[in-house]
Amino acid sequence: MSTPTETPSRTPLTTLRELPSNVWNSIFRNPLPSTDLERASTSFTNFFLHIHPVKVHKNTLRPVYTLGLGLMATFLFVILVVTGVLLMFYYVPSTTQAYDRMLDLRGTVAFGIFLRNMHRWSAHGMVAIVFFHMCRVFLTGAYKKPREFNWVLGVLLLLVTLFLSFTGYLLPWDQLAFWAITVGTSIAGYAPLVGKQIQFVLLGDTTVGQEALLRFYVLHVAVLPAVLVLLMAVHFWRIRKDGGLSRPEKAEKPAPEALPQAGVVKLKKVYGLQGFVRGPFTKVGNVPDDSVYSWPNLLMAELLVFALTISVILVVSLAFSAPLEQPVNVMHPPNPAKAPWYFLGLQELVSYSAFWGGIGIPGLMVALLFLVPYIDRTTHGVGRWFAKERLLANTIFLTLVILNIIFIVIGTFFRGPNWTFVSPF
Amino acid sequence: MTVATRSQGKQPEEHQSRRRMLTWLSSFALFASVVLAAVSDWLFFKPRVTYGPNARFAIGKPDDFPPGTRISRDVERVCIVREGNKLAAISTTCTHLGCIVGIADTGFACPCHGSHYDQDGNVTGGPAPKPLPWFQVTLAPNGEIEVDKNSQVEPGTYFTV
Repeated sequence: MSTPTETPSRTPLTTLRELPSNVWNSIFRNPLPSTDLERASTSFTNFFLHIHPVKVHKNTLRPVYTLGLGLMATFLFVILVVTGVLLMFYYVPSTTQAYDRMLDLRGTVAFGIFLRNMHRWSAHGMVAIVFFHMCRVFLTGAYKKPREFNWVLGVLLLLVTLFLSFTGYLLPWDQLAFWAITVGTSIAGYAPLVGKQIQFVLLGDTTVGQEALLRFYVLHVAVLPAVLVLLMAVHFWRIRKDGGLSRPEKAEKPAPEALPQAGVVKLKKVYGLQGFVRGPFTKVGNVPDDSVYSWPNLLMAELLVFALTISVILVVSLAFSAPLEQPVNVMHPPNPAKAPWYFLGLQELVSYSAFWGGIGIPGLMVALLFLVPYIDRTTHGVGRWFAKERLLANTIFLTLVILNIIFIVIGTFFRGPNWTFVSPF
Repeated sequence: MTVATRSQGKQPEEHQSRRRMLTWLSSFALFASVVLAAVSDWLFFKPRVTYGPNARFAIGKPDDFPPGTRISRDVERVCIVREGNKLAAISTTCTHLGCIVGIADTGFACPCHGSHYDQDGNVTGGPAPKPLPWFQVTLAPNGEIEVDKNSQVEPGTYFTV
């Protein structure tokens, strides 16, 4: 609407013509960046981008250093939230209806089976990727000071991921689900003193039934995702507060040839956060600049990892269907009754001794994981894979990882009816 | 040398100790609230009633179980054993990790982790830590046999019909 006080050229037609660009500019304060200042502004004026620092160290972007595993885990979680919310529209956490709803996903819901496949394979993928991410962080010594607490948060994230996957496992209410949860919650019952109580509260009853299904459902769709999002937020925030991703010690030191020559660059005195990015250097003083702008370098790397992650999930979900066994029959456990694959190492241990396999050894392992950065106080070998200085630590860690994988393989492929040893060949 | 006194007529040490006292009291109150919240949460999440099958149930007349019977009732998860005129109810929930044990030639066998039990429920192999419990068997006034899974009896304790 034009008024006489405005410029004479302002007619309703110009207002209309300018509408799209005005709306666009009101949302995005920055044009597509063409200068370093604009690249910096893009990162901190956009809500969704300001999680990034303006500049990141080149080491952060080396694919062989991080393998993009943390990003993959995050993107898998995003896929899980989206597909999970969609599945919630058709799911009922009732022992009489849950299984029928699974069949409906196959038969009547558009894309139902595809969404379930995506959700299932992403869940398996997330457990594996989070585990590999932990291995990467350990093998590059990235948990060392000042990143100790972020490692602890990472271990918590691994545990929440496992618990999320475990609670989701029951929801289809098929034979696989029922017996895996029966076995899994019985393991909790072996904890000293409070074990039986915890099992009772977890199940809401003495056996797996309607109460357990409802409890697991609420944990799976509300409580645990909320906890996971909170922990993720702190995990990401601390990456920046701890000085970005870990990198080799020598990357911090100034290389003489990289020092600017006096008089060539004249820095204008500027103040505030933007001042640091106005000149060619991010740091004050004669420090070489080994960093690059997040826009577009980091963004492109993230986009690439996202494209890779979702492509793999889409292809796998099109090619393979998530298993659905017979509906729950509390009278006939499948023989052998197996937990989800990532717990089969545990189940194998449990077949030797329920307490030591289910509580003792896993509890000790988790406690050790939490304490890793507080036990290993050396500062060398950070930022490189398999650093020589870390031979002992890496050997211990890899031994435990490989043992875990061996137990999982035995439990998955070498155990038949009545948990007797069978050969898959 | 000079310690600022923020109210008249009070020694600095009094201030310090009062402040320390208040800090200590509020910390204690905070801690108590956390404990209270934890206890309340536990009470909330521990159900007062369960909706599962009754622990005490009737299984039929004694004549339904002729001598020599070993019937596994999987819904109630008990095995009814009759030898001569003696009746007993042995649990079929594996003491290892809660799977249902099946009746085998030698007694009971668990499909999940390979535990074996003899005819009386004693562990003969596998990871099971305890023998299968025996439940109390009684005769109800209407002539039906009742099993009470809430009360265990010594293994080898039979009910004579």
